[in-house]
Amino acid sequence: MVNLTIDNTQVTVAKDATIFDAAKSVGIKIPILCHDKKLHPFGGCRMCLVEVEQMKGRLIPACTTPVTEGMIVRTTTDEIVKARKLVLELLLLKHPLDCPVCDAAGDCDLQNLTYEYKVNCNQFSDEKFNHAIDYENPLIERDMNRCIHCGKCARICDEIVSYGAYTFINRGIEAKMGTPFDGPLSCEFCGSCISVCPVGALISRPFKFKARWWALNKVKSVCSYCGTGCQLTLGVKDNKVLTTVYDENQGFHNGQLCTRGRFAYQFVNSDNRLTTPLIKKNGKFVEAGWDEALKLVSEKLGAAKGSVGALTTAHLTNEELFLFEKLFRGTLGSDNIDHSAGYAHAALTEGAQKAFGTVTSPSEIADIQKTNLLLVIKTDAYETHPVLGFEINLGVKRQGVSLRIVSDKKGKISRLPGAKTSVHKPGTEIAFVNALANVIIAENLAVAGVAGLDQLKAALADYTPEKVAAVTGVAAEEIVALAKEYAAAEKALIMLPIGLGYPGHDAALAQAVANLAILTGRIGKEGSGLLIMGEKNNSQGAADLGIYPKNGGLKGAAIIDGAANGQVKALFIAGENPVVSYPNRKKVEAALEKAEFVVVSDLFLTETAQFADVVLPAVSFAEKNGTFTSVGRRVQQINKAVKPAGLAKSDFEILNDLNAALSGKRYGNVAEVFGEIAATVPAYQGLTLSGLGDEGAVLPVAPAAKLNAVAAPAVPAAAGKLALVTGSALYHSGTLSRFGEGPMYVCGDAYAELSEADAKALKIEEGDAITVKSDVGSVSLKAKVGKRLPAGVVFAPYHFADASINTVTDGAAVTLVTVGK
Amino acid sequence: MEQVLFRHNRPDRSVTFEEYCAEGGFDALKKALTAMTPDEVQQTVIDSGLRGRGGAGFPTGKKWSFVPRNLPGPRWLICNGDEMEPGTYKDRVLLEKNPFSLIEGVTLASYALGVRHAFIFLRRDYETAAANLQAGIDAAKKAGLLGERILGTEFSCDIDLHLSAGRYICGEETALINALEGKRPNPRQKPPFPAVKGLWGGPTVVNNVETLANVPAIIANGAAWFKGLARNPEGAGTKLFCVSGSVVNPVCIELPIGTPLREIIDQACGGLKPGKKFKACIPGGASTQFLSEAHLDVPMDFDPVVKVGSRLGSGAIIVFDEGHCLVEATLNLIKFFARESCGWCTPCREGLQFVKEILERIERGGGEERDLDLLRDHTRFLSYAFCAFAPGAMSPLDGLLANFEDEVREHITRKRCPLKG
Repeated sequence: MVNLTIDNTQVTVAKDATIFDAAKSVGIKIPILCHDKKLHPFGGCRMCLVEVEQMKGRLIPACTTPVTEGMIVRTTTDEIVKARKLVLELLLLKHPLDCPVCDAAGDCDLQNLTYEYKVNCNQFSDEKFNHAIDYENPLIERDMNRCIHCGKCARICDEIVSYGAYTFINRGIEAKMGTPFDGPLSCEFCGSCISVCPVGALISRPFKFKARWWALNKVKSVCSYCGTGCQLTLGVKDNKVLTTVYDENQGFHNGQLCTRGRFAYQFVNSDNRLTTPLIKKNGKFVEAGWDEALKLVSEKLGAAKGSVGALTTAHLTNEELFLFEKLFRGTLGSDNIDHSAGYAHAALTEGAQKAFGTVTSPSEIADIQKTNLLLVIKTDAYETHPVLGFEINLGVKRQGVSLRIVSDKKGKISRLPGAKTSVHKPGTEIAFVNALANVIIAENLAVAGVAGLDQLKAALADYTPEKVAAVTGVAAEEIVALAKEYAAAEKALIMLPIGLGYPGHDAALAQAVANLAILTGRIGKEGSGLLIMGEKNNSQGAADLGIYPKNGGLKGAAIIDGAANGQVKALFIAGENPVVSYPNRKKVEAALEKAEFVVVSDLFLTETAQFADVVLPAVSFAEKNGTFTSVGRRVQQINKAVKPAGLAKSDFEILNDLNAALSGKRYGNVAEVFGEIAATVPAYQGLTLSGLGDEGAVLPVAPAAKLNAVAAPAVPAAAGKLALVTGSALYHSGTLSRFGEGPMYVCGDAYAELSEADAKALKIEEGDAITVKSDVGSVSLKAKVGKRLPAGVVFAPYHFADASINTVTDGAAVTLVTVGK
Repeated sequence: MEQVLFRHNRPDRSVTFEEYCAEGGFDALKKALTAMTPDEVQQTVIDSGLRGRGGAGFPTGKKWSFVPRNLPGPRWLICNGDEMEPGTYKDRVLLEKNPFSLIEGVTLASYALGVRHAFIFLRRDYETAAANLQAGIDAAKKAGLLGERILGTEFSCDIDLHLSAGRYICGEETALINALEGKRPNPRQKPPFPAVKGLWGGPTVVNNVETLANVPAIIANGAAWFKGLARNPEGAGTKLFCVSGSVVNPVCIELPIGTPLREIIDQACGGLKPGKKFKACIPGGASTQFLSEAHLDVPMDFDPVVKVGSRLGSGAIIVFDEGHCLVEATLNLIKFFARESCGWCTPCREGLQFVKEILERIERGGGEERDLDLLRDHTRFLSYAFCAFAPGAMSPLDGLLANFEDEVREHITRKRCPLKG
């Protein structure tokens, strides 16, 4: 620790602190424009100049100068104030001062400091800039005339997003924040640059001219897309969510968001929202009142009783899922309840259950930056959970984490410094991971006394590096080297994304990777273990609350089948969209067509809702209260920001009403149900809603560690066929992001990505319309040609309703297809 | 007059490798590698009083001593040959005549510092110097004076010649390091200083061409000998002075440190051009303050020049006569600096542009009395910039206001440049 004096106040801080940090720690405010706590110090704006007695006469920047013992600092002298005023005057000289039409007004550091320093005239005068404004993309507007050259956009894009869309270009007064060759912006459109821009040089186009910043009601919430659990602040006016407001103090991610979090909130106030219950009469939907609709639904459910099938999305809150379970498993006595097609959660509900004795993974998000070696299963971890991808970037670039990736294709994270990607043949993940375990055991790298080691050794005897090399296409030496590196690391963390797009990331794969962590003694240690990344915002909650068959009931896809063969008499679907996201679209559609009675509660009249007999209008995360449990077991609260659309009700109300109508208990409110959860779900024990606060609470976990040998599935192959693998596109999450402006502007169509070699052989070029055909069906998609795919592999994201890829897939990890124009 | 740096020079061509060796070249390297420890080499340089010849005049041996001795991982030596200071051309002349002193000096410094791989960062326009250096490096390598196990000892060292993409800011040592890493040459924040964390994060020493070229002679002849070369008691060694402007014979000449300014102009350069009268000079390149006739007896050494309000800088003397307008001359320099500012920090990016505009106004005859205060403020506030570029850029203006304020005021009161019709 270092002792110093700032404005006559004694301060003690860590020795790597800067003067700015030290001042902040005792509440002394030093003005800044270019400094950001998440980024490396910059020192360019010269607003934070202070005087240090020991450096008599020279003003030095507080944000870049480290503290030294006995330093005597003054933060406000006449000379300092004059210097700061001069900086402001110089910045204002070229600045257009178009505050009345600038969206940043009210939230502008330059405006606020100009006010604070009373810069009411300028001793200088000069011509203004005349830079062309970049309107080329629909999300980020770049007006470099307003730029004050703080460089934060370039730094956040480089340091945290690891994209590098911006840099300084030109010299002297002509210097500006530019893009490659000064062209239009072409990037991931995460909008991180907008969030840190201290002025209005970078603004959100969807929010442009929507509201003054000070007129927004700011409501804290949690993003409802992926499982990362990013905290959000919704900017609300006139009962509409108009933007997300950046708050650098929110969440583990310090307010960082991805495209979905920042630009995909528009589904909340979409004109296409369902606003009234609908009942299908004579093949046509007719608007109905809630009483009529709920009466019909409760009658049908009550009649079907134990042969009810119930599917939900993991977008629902914990409290809603609790009621879902109470209604269907409790009141109606059916075990045919599930979510995520029954396979996309199996890594948790079966895999983790077998390996750790609990339906959660033992590690937390914070472990990503604390580890020494990250083993990521599939580069798609970046696409499925982009903000966890930022954590990977930071871990590798700031903390020196070694990144190793086992994947069927390369991806953005493959390009991080020192990253090594072992590209294996599609569908051979388990064989690969088993080979790693085989090497760890064979080389005596397993920790002493692991129970079940001998059985595992025997079971994996066939997974020698040489044999597995032949199966996976990865050289035996590479497998051995990776196994040794993994075992040798002091701390090692495995990341395994799961979801509807990844049928191969199942219970078996989860157990196979858990074996690695258990063999090397990584369970229950900081910075180590396994992080299973649930796809949806409340995937972990759905697992915790038992939304899966527990007593031999039908699983997700089987429930749909059951609706066709009469085993399921009534089908209730809450927010799930099986027609687009479950395997084999034709089969799902046929089943729903044949089903006796289908109820769908959703925000929109989805492709699945079209098949329903009754459609119930539900509400979004912004229209209700409750909790979500994210990857790494953090329980966080969402807060109602706007009134429900039309007559729409939350699933909480819908399920509560139905439960009461069917003689179940009626719960009072969200807090009461949360209390029930805390009382009945062991991990949630002792939690209270009010106790969660802004930070949320990380659920405790006491994982057991049990080795389970799993066999690698056979991988289909046929001459002349390509291997289709599905997954997430960077800009999308599930099927809900189709109702967000941002994702649809950037990535509006389904596509299939081909390797350059295959594209060349098939004479296909980027943007061509191609047909992808399998035994199950065929679909017409737009071609994308990428360097990242090995020959013989096709990748397609699953989010899109038109030309949905589940038209050709049937739930296998790999689908053999032919591709042609 | 004893010549150290120019000892091997031929009047019409570059010295050859064989000639350099025959005249005692690389004897210092042999002596150091066989009879001295790296610490002894460094101590000799410290004792010699050698100060950096690039402009700042920092004691060279002391700079070397900042490199932590026991850090694992590679450390680096960079020779800064990005000579772009207006008026400065000494390194070019040195390298065109003799690349070997620098090559030997870099190798000796690498030995002292424990550097395996050194870089020479050269201004792109210096094509002859580049060709000379590359041929010299190749010859030295062939003779076993560079590369693996030099002269059969445990010491190995290679030198890479890197041609700058060509911007003035690359001469700033941390910007140079960024440029060498392939990045935009913005200066880096200090601390950490390059000696602790520089090129690719490793300890790095950056020395000027002339500085390093002095090292072989220091090692060969000893610290006391080097100190004795100077004309003034506190000085050490010789200095290359490169003179331009209104003199009869603008030359690059090696003279003892401490030679009076008047002597350089009157004797070495043959005085002012016929019919011209001395008015002012810049003693050490564009980023030093103007000196007037009153300062002509100053000994040209670091501290004495500072005492009269300027800096020895690079030793580039630009001489102005009574016919030159110093407002215009200052404006010309400020235009250069405003253009070359990297644009990173507010005072430099915006402030220099503004100073340029005020000077333009004054030169045009549109200046006001308050402009003098504005300019004075800027000479102070621009010193709070991110790196030494802006304070350096303000030096000529500072000198103008200190020594020639009347000339500026005359522009303002007469509403025109008094030296133009």
